[in-house]
Amino acid sequence: MKSNNGMIGKSIPRIGAIERLLGKPLFSADMELDHPLVLKVLPSDRHHARILDIDTAEAARVEGVVEIFTAEDIPRNHLTGIINKDRPLLAKNKVRSKGDAVALVAALNIHAAETAAKKIHVVYEDLPSVHDPEEALKNHASKVHEKGNLLFTRKIKKGNPEKAFEACAVVVEKTYRTSFLEHTYLEPDAGAGYLDPDGNLVIIASTQNPHYDHSELVSLLGVAPEKVRIVQAATGGGFGSKLDLNVQGFIGLALYHLKRPVMCTFTREETYRMTAKRHPLKMVFKTGADENGHLMAMTAKMICDTGAYGSYGLAVASRAPVHATGPYEIDHVDVECRCVYTNNPFAGAMRGFGVPQAAFAHESQMDLLAEALGMDPLEIRRVNALKAGHKTATGQLLNGSVGIDQCLEAVKPHYENALKTWLHGETDFAKQRGVGLGAMWYGIGNTGVQNPSTAHIEMDGEGRITLYTGCADIGQGSTTVLSQIAAAVLGISPDMLCMVVGDTAFTSNAGATSASRQTYISGNAVKNAAEKLADVLLTEGVDLLKRPKTDLMLENGFVVYKKDPDHRMPFSKIAARAAKRGIPLRWQGYFDPETVPLDPETGEGVPYATYAFACHVALVTVDVLTGEVTVHKIIAAHDVGRAIHPASVEGQIRGGAAMGVGFALMEEYDPSTTRSLKDYHIPTAMDMPEIIPIIIESSEPTGPFGAKGVGEPALIPTAPAVINGITNAVSARIYHLPANLERVLEASIQSGKFTMKEVA
Amino acid sequence: MEMKTIKFVINGVKQELRIPPWRTLLEVIREDLKLTGAKEGCGQGECGSCTVIMGGKSVNSCLVPAMEADGQEITTIEGLKNGEELHPIQEAFVEHAGMQCGFCTPGMIMSAKHLLDHNSDPTLEEIQEGVSGNFCRCTGYTKIFESIDAAAKSMKGGR
Repeated sequence: MKSNNGMIGKSIPRIGAIERLLGKPLFSADMELDHPLVLKVLPSDRHHARILDIDTAEAARVEGVVEIFTAEDIPRNHLTGIINKDRPLLAKNKVRSKGDAVALVAALNIHAAETAAKKIHVVYEDLPSVHDPEEALKNHASKVHEKGNLLFTRKIKKGNPEKAFEACAVVVEKTYRTSFLEHTYLEPDAGAGYLDPDGNLVIIASTQNPHYDHSELVSLLGVAPEKVRIVQAATGGGFGSKLDLNVQGFIGLALYHLKRPVMCTFTREETYRMTAKRHPLKMVFKTGADENGHLMAMTAKMICDTGAYGSYGLAVASRAPVHATGPYEIDHVDVECRCVYTNNPFAGAMRGFGVPQAAFAHESQMDLLAEALGMDPLEIRRVNALKAGHKTATGQLLNGSVGIDQCLEAVKPHYENALKTWLHGETDFAKQRGVGLGAMWYGIGNTGVQNPSTAHIEMDGEGRITLYTGCADIGQGSTTVLSQIAAAVLGISPDMLCMVVGDTAFTSNAGATSASRQTYISGNAVKNAAEKLADVLLTEGVDLLKRPKTDLMLENGFVVYKKDPDHRMPFSKIAARAAKRGIPLRWQGYFDPETVPLDPETGEGVPYATYAFACHVALVTVDVLTGEVTVHKIIAAHDVGRAIHPASVEGQIRGGAAMGVGFALMEEYDPSTTRSLKDYHIPTAMDMPEIIPIIIESSEPTGPFGAKGVGEPALIPTAPAVINGITNAVSARIYHLPANLERVLEASIQSGKFTMKEVA
Repeated sequence: MEMKTIKFVINGVKQELRIPPWRTLLEVIREDLKLTGAKEGCGQGECGSCTVIMGGKSVNSCLVPAMEADGQEITTIEGLKNGEELHPIQEAFVEHAGMQCGFCTPGMIMSAKHLLDHNSDPTLEEIQEGVSGNFCRCTGYTKIFESIDAAAKSMKGGR
């Protein structure tokens, strides 16, 4: 569809904005049910232990307690997990981490539930625990799961890097580490459930994937699919963690047995203790280049700690190595990433699936190579940037949208200006300025596996159109974007569409809101459905307007003769006539990006149909006496293919950069000490740099109106840019994120910058 | 269980409640009065999602014992609009994309209102300071600052 009635590229009012601004009860914990029971989970307080006995007798006597559930009460399959099923809803026989759910209390009020949870007596027999993934791979290590601690290995091999290193002018080898992170979406996990008049289980929850929740509930409870309905409530951020079954299973279990309304609202502490974290990675990178800075070869050994359960660990362990080259062409590559079980809190999806970690390593390497060769950091990136016609490390020929060089070009004036003027501005001798670059690429959609989306569109007999999508809007604005796509195809204003979103009783599977995939994949599914309906309208229009189909178009709810816009027919008339004649007015759309599974030994394949690209420049000041880092400005260029809703794209870029500043400087979840927001620092209004988003539109031929995605890419280049900026400021590099006060101060001392007086 | 009677005015409506003395203002507002705009994001006064205005001051209602509300005047997000008309701050948040998931938004707007009630022409630094107790994980804050700045200008223009 060429024309798009001005709906594409327009920042229309966000669907749902007014209701949120008025404080309407949209979120799960706001639901008003008829005297709901409240649920409380008893988590394990052991790292690794056999459960010998769970005595609930005393707890059951607490006034107000209705029921206490353990693993025995789960009707069918007790294991959950979207990729590999290894996480019990309630622990059976043993616990593998301190967050494992052991028992579930249903009570009339929260005080009774909390009191009872404390009176459940669990007899444990402690087992040796392992908290380091390298230790976990040793022969003598305690087994977290029966099948062993190595969950998965991904290998990417191309050419002969060891031989190629010999011909390099410079080779850099370094080890990088990152920490556990907590998503810290503002809305703690929550859900509510009730039985509808037909006795079906209805669960309203904060979720990124209602259709997955549905399949998991059916599996846990062993009921017919039509007996369970999942409704996505307004979701207060997710960033990957609300892809797991956090409260939905508990609600389903209680509802199944008790047949009364229930609510489960995690406290912040429960969210911190019982939901996924970002995988910490240890990465040994070796990269070589010729004297002109051309990357010749790279190898990387990566190990990621998935904690007690897999969750999205396999996806992380696939994405990190696939993206390890960065957005650069390298002929000789050997990367291996192992995903390992430990008794740490489980790690899962978090904005970027391991790519933010990998980008920290590959972008540090680029600056190290540039330094060794005496090259400008921007220049070495431009020399190596992927272009159409290049092949990636998995052997994929890039022939669509490849906008990395445009991103580098776009930041160039800002970067050069910062080096020329800002860097030398007046400042206190203890405050050293630095400018850093970070680039990235990011495959849209799941890695080398099918990940289709579906959508339905329906016109009623009066010409009103409803779009049904299972795509969960978690605050990023996908509902608005999908409405624009459908409206553009059908030649109407988006507010003429009725949107039905994320309700498994009415919508079909759109897959997860993850992997920055919804605009590209669900956008295409919606477009496909809308085009089928549009085709019916145009075809019917031929009969009514007596004009050839190619001379007709859809505009403002009419089929219009292009050469004489007054010669037209309203949708309502066409719909009425079509309905009478039995012409279908409900259509399904479908899209699955073309991928080829990766070879298990070489990684050869097509992991993604398209990639997003980006480059950030960070302007930082380091206080060499305290280690405090201030980020003043981030210039963020992102190739998004096409910005369907520019304000939302900019919103993602700004929010991603903020999260990137947190990843770079302050965020670290320590399993032994982090309990709540008091112990975990995220950027506040006072920490924010000025952010200058630059949208690059290198149109993707397979994207809806050329669009790709931006949700995760927004975060990825920030931390490398900040770290390279710190290095530029203090002449010492940090290899372990976050670059907190201690690490920066140490770097400052090591490089001799720590001094009480001004030096010439 | 010892129950206490408290009286206060919330969003212009008089309320008289009998409550146990340990309950928080946030619990009473959300559970008893069914005003669920104020959110619990942490329960520790860290995140600001529960911000309401009490006695002219912005407070983290999760930390305020409901007993302290006795005799006070309270405004929550639900009390901001004038009939069906949005408050200029709410309008500015739509206009300037000051919101994504919307969970922090009620608290953010109440902090903004408190700021603008006391300072009709805040600088960027004053705006940042004014919402420094309100966390947002989605927007990166800049659009929130712009929304508040725009609201200040619109309110000065006689709105």
